[in-house]
Amino acid sequence: MTERAPLEARAPWIELRTTADDWRSASPQLLENMLGQLHLIRAFEEVVLELAGEGLVHGPAHSSIGQEGGAVGSIISLGTKDAINGSHRGHHQFLAKVINHVSAGKLDVNALVTPALQEVLQKTLAEILGLAQGYCSGRGGSMHLQYFEAGALGTNAIVGGGVPLAAGNAWAQRKALTDNITVSYFGDGAVNIGSVLETMNLAAAWKLPMAFFIENNLYAVSTHVSEVTAEPRLSARALGFAIPSWKVDGMDPLAVHLAMKEAESHMRTGKGPVVIEADVYRYFHQNGPFPGSAFGYRSKEEEAQWRERDPLLRVANEMIALGLIDQAGVDSVREQALAANRLAAAALLEANPDAPGKRRIKPELWPDASFVNVGVRGDTSELNGARTLEPLKDSGPKTNMKFVDAVAGVIDAAMESDNRIVILGEDIHRLNGGTNGATKGLSKKFPDRVLGTPISENAFAGLGGGMALDGRFRPIVEFMYPDFMWVAADQVFNQIGKARHMFGGQNPVPLVLRTKVAIGSGYGSQHLMDPAGIFATSPGWRIVAASTPAEYIGLMNAALALQDPVLVLEHVDLYQDLGDVPENDFGYQIPFGKANIRREGKDATVLTYLSMVKHSLTAVEQTGMDAEVIDLRWLDRASIDWATIEASIKKTNNVLIVEQGALGTSYGGWLADEIHRRYFDWLDQPVQRVSGGEASPSISKVLERAAYAGVEEIVAGLGRVQAGFGGTH
Amino acid sequence: MAAIMRMPEVLANATEAIIAKWLIAEGASFTIGQPMAEVETEKALVEVPAESDGILGKYLAQNGAHVQVGAPIAILLNVGEGQAEIDKSLTEVGADIPAPVVAATTPIAETTTPAPAAPVIAPAPVATPVQTNTGGRLFASPLARRLAKESGIDPASIQGTGPDGRIVRRDVQAAIAGGAKPSAAAVAAPIIPAGSFTDIPHSGMRKAIARRLTESKTTVPHFYLNAPVLADEMLKFRTSFNEWAPHKVSVTDLIVKTVAAAFSDVPAANVIWTDTALRQFSDVDVAVAVATDKGLVTPVIRGINHMSLIQLNAAATEIIDRARTGRLKQNEIEGGTFSVTNLGIYGTDEFSAILNPPQSAILAVGAAKQKPVVIDGQIVVRSVINFTMSVDHRAIDGALAAQWLAAFVKRFENPFWLAL
Repeated sequence: MTERAPLEARAPWIELRTTADDWRSASPQLLENMLGQLHLIRAFEEVVLELAGEGLVHGPAHSSIGQEGGAVGSIISLGTKDAINGSHRGHHQFLAKVINHVSAGKLDVNALVTPALQEVLQKTLAEILGLAQGYCSGRGGSMHLQYFEAGALGTNAIVGGGVPLAAGNAWAQRKALTDNITVSYFGDGAVNIGSVLETMNLAAAWKLPMAFFIENNLYAVSTHVSEVTAEPRLSARALGFAIPSWKVDGMDPLAVHLAMKEAESHMRTGKGPVVIEADVYRYFHQNGPFPGSAFGYRSKEEEAQWRERDPLLRVANEMIALGLIDQAGVDSVREQALAANRLAAAALLEANPDAPGKRRIKPELWPDASFVNVGVRGDTSELNGARTLEPLKDSGPKTNMKFVDAVAGVIDAAMESDNRIVILGEDIHRLNGGTNGATKGLSKKFPDRVLGTPISENAFAGLGGGMALDGRFRPIVEFMYPDFMWVAADQVFNQIGKARHMFGGQNPVPLVLRTKVAIGSGYGSQHLMDPAGIFATSPGWRIVAASTPAEYIGLMNAALALQDPVLVLEHVDLYQDLGDVPENDFGYQIPFGKANIRREGKDATVLTYLSMVKHSLTAVEQTGMDAEVIDLRWLDRASIDWATIEASIKKTNNVLIVEQGALGTSYGGWLADEIHRRYFDWLDQPVQRVSGGEASPSISKVLERAAYAGVEEIVAGLGRVQAGFGGTH
Repeated sequence: MAAIMRMPEVLANATEAIIAKWLIAEGASFTIGQPMAEVETEKALVEVPAESDGILGKYLAQNGAHVQVGAPIAILLNVGEGQAEIDKSLTEVGADIPAPVVAATTPIAETTTPAPAAPVIAPAPVATPVQTNTGGRLFASPLARRLAKESGIDPASIQGTGPDGRIVRRDVQAAIAGGAKPSAAAVAAPIIPAGSFTDIPHSGMRKAIARRLTESKTTVPHFYLNAPVLADEMLKFRTSFNEWAPHKVSVTDLIVKTVAAAFSDVPAANVIWTDTALRQFSDVDVAVAVATDKGLVTPVIRGINHMSLIQLNAAATEIIDRARTGRLKQNEIEGGTFSVTNLGIYGTDEFSAILNPPQSAILAVGAAKQKPVVIDGQIVVRSVINFTMSVDHRAIDGALAAQWLAAFVKRFENPFWLAL
């Protein structure tokens, strides 16, 4: 007979409801603040829908009307240094947080709208309309509202996409020894996405002061929560991760507030994350000014029932019952809120001269079109005054060193001199320096800054992104293999790469992502890509690739100094290579944006990087062609050394781009395109290319070799270039 | 079944030619070998012969039309065929517009051809080009186009050696080094007051003369030898010979014959320069400069070393006559090692000529004039012709040229060998 013992979840899961006592003991100021915030947000959203109805909002306007109780109840107690982020439906959270910030936690229902508050309403509305005076200069719009100084980290249009970033912020708050917390808001639709669940696990494992705040409004667009999960009580998700969890009526702002206070005491005392599920209801459809019932996925009766429990009514009625305000006072709050928001709109709109009776956005308020690419990356002014060195040309004393030891060595030296630097990745803290020894010795020396992660690339990459956005720490994230970037693609490309530009171009994202190309190691189709091409064609990233240990040191230092996300490429083939590095010097930078001509020649320009530099040099010697071999080193379109490339092309008139990896995701495509357009009249033949084949390299040794490019393929490529010269009758 | 007559490639690498004149009217019949049309190229006016019997159904290019090589110029019918076949052929022609020559570039996929597991280092393949641009489009690399434009060279005058015959940097540089002719656009027109001149458009032949002689004068290192030759004996021989000969021989005939004989004395001079080798000829092929209303042509008389004077005269008369009437075939104006140009008939005393590539020498013949000559210490009056030989120094050194000229002079002054 088997024995069966019941098991219990490690963390509590409770539903919190208010009583009349709770309302009586709530401070009048708290309730006044709540009432004011609720009305300001409601009126704001009504004005937004009004403008949307007039066709003045470009793109979706995801209304939060009906959901204000969750946001106001949870945010009302947060200080400016506490942080929030949110989803596509985030106006209410953003406003609640910013109102807190500018009102210092005190609203007066008799004089609700201060000038500072009026400005908040106008700037928020301007951002939603895409205007230059908005918080993100009009770049972000409705779905990307960011106001760092107020602790509003940025709302996010990728479902669940902001959650890992919030974890990074929470990590920094804790590491900086504050008791601040981060609240990440998302809806019922996001509960089933990997980013959220991965981050719950990671935040719990690392005890991050973070709230996963689920606004359960029952519908992911038109799909009911009960259709897509067997456990529609979404706070139950927390139990699997040992996270304490609260379920609360989001239409009761006080209930949300009390749940949050309990959760705060958990978070602020270092006990780790919480989950709060607030049941709310959006009165309108996913976006636009029509109710969901108009689209047939729910009934008018259901909507009417929820509207009866409206959070504005609830707070007003409780306050009236407590004698804190009368109906005229409530009406006055409503009128003040509406007037302020109409005033905000009026500041941005004017009568449309082409359509009598209609309004239009004041033309002078649009951003200048020339602003379109500003701030995709930073201006690199942070590198001014840096000590640079060309180690291959330097005549100072040298030490012979393995490439992989230079990797560990420069990171060690950087962590030693800059205690902001944190490294994170899978197994980097074990195995004597991770799977390749690239982080050797670091976990012993910096145990709290070398973070071995769960196998959750999306979560830990995003966590690194959140640290970078916070700015107090500088993460070095490691992907054990480049192909894992696809697992983390949302964080790497949608979040980290775009964050600076999307939120207006001002806030930097200093993050280093290390990964090693492992082509030739037999790891097969899902581990052996060269990611340079994907990163080079994705906005926001810089890319460096070293072909020698000494240049690695200088490129890593430059990457760490930059205020942008930088991919630092390594290659397993190079790890055991020996090279001379400056003696006792791990502190120099390779000059920004400078390629290195490794062999001068006059007949062809070979543009290459990483391990293909040495293979190209070998191939050139074998053919005897007088080719110029350029190690690009800086690969992204903003950092690449056009001056050197141009001078070489004008000399040789023939170009061969050499890379090792697969054709489809290859790096050379964009570069060839750019070269053709920049130097068409200097080219004597099409830009020639050497790359791998279409297929990913297989496990089978023969097929793997056939799939990538090596010396033989470079020799053949040089032959094609030579054929292109002509000159032989 | 009806056939399409296309513009022949009358000249290697020619891209277009002009229908100078149709010789068969629309609707008229023709027989195999009958001249169908006169076609003017840069170098010559040639007759295009019929390749079979038939009826000329319809012209697709009219007199004077510039036509791409390979493009249809007429519809030819068989006996019994008519408008229906013409219409059908017109449809075919419409569907048969020469497509641009698709360059056989290496597909990218090929760049990824797996290498053998065991590395085998093959020497870099060399260019294997030579495709003539018959589609009418000139393929040149962007750089080559720019360089040609900057240096004023007409890309059409350059032989491409890149993939599929693409003109590449090295070809333009070779053309620059070789002094290719500047294109019309690159040469600034002299500023002359309007109304004081008339622009006569260049004919193909005029362009060819300009191009070839510029190329010769600028790329071939000329040197010049001069010899005043006593002509009395030869002139006497001519007078006597013409008294009984069936056709009268000209002084030019005699000069050409003597040239051939001098080559038998000094065969080492019967050579031309090529990029890779000195080409030694066994036969003597001599071009004769003929002035026509359209310009200079130089038909080549071949195998003169095998001809008697009478045969030479017959051959020369026939070809010069055709040259004057513009009926030379293309191959009749190509080749040869030597030219003779005689301006003496216009009274010119002495002149130097420009070499006619690829030939290595040209002999400029002045007028026979009576001059005082010192012979055996006595001043006597003799008929003297001034010969000036221009020589390609790449092929023939001065001493060899001098030997040859000495042989020529000796034979010209003592023509009894003609009787042998």
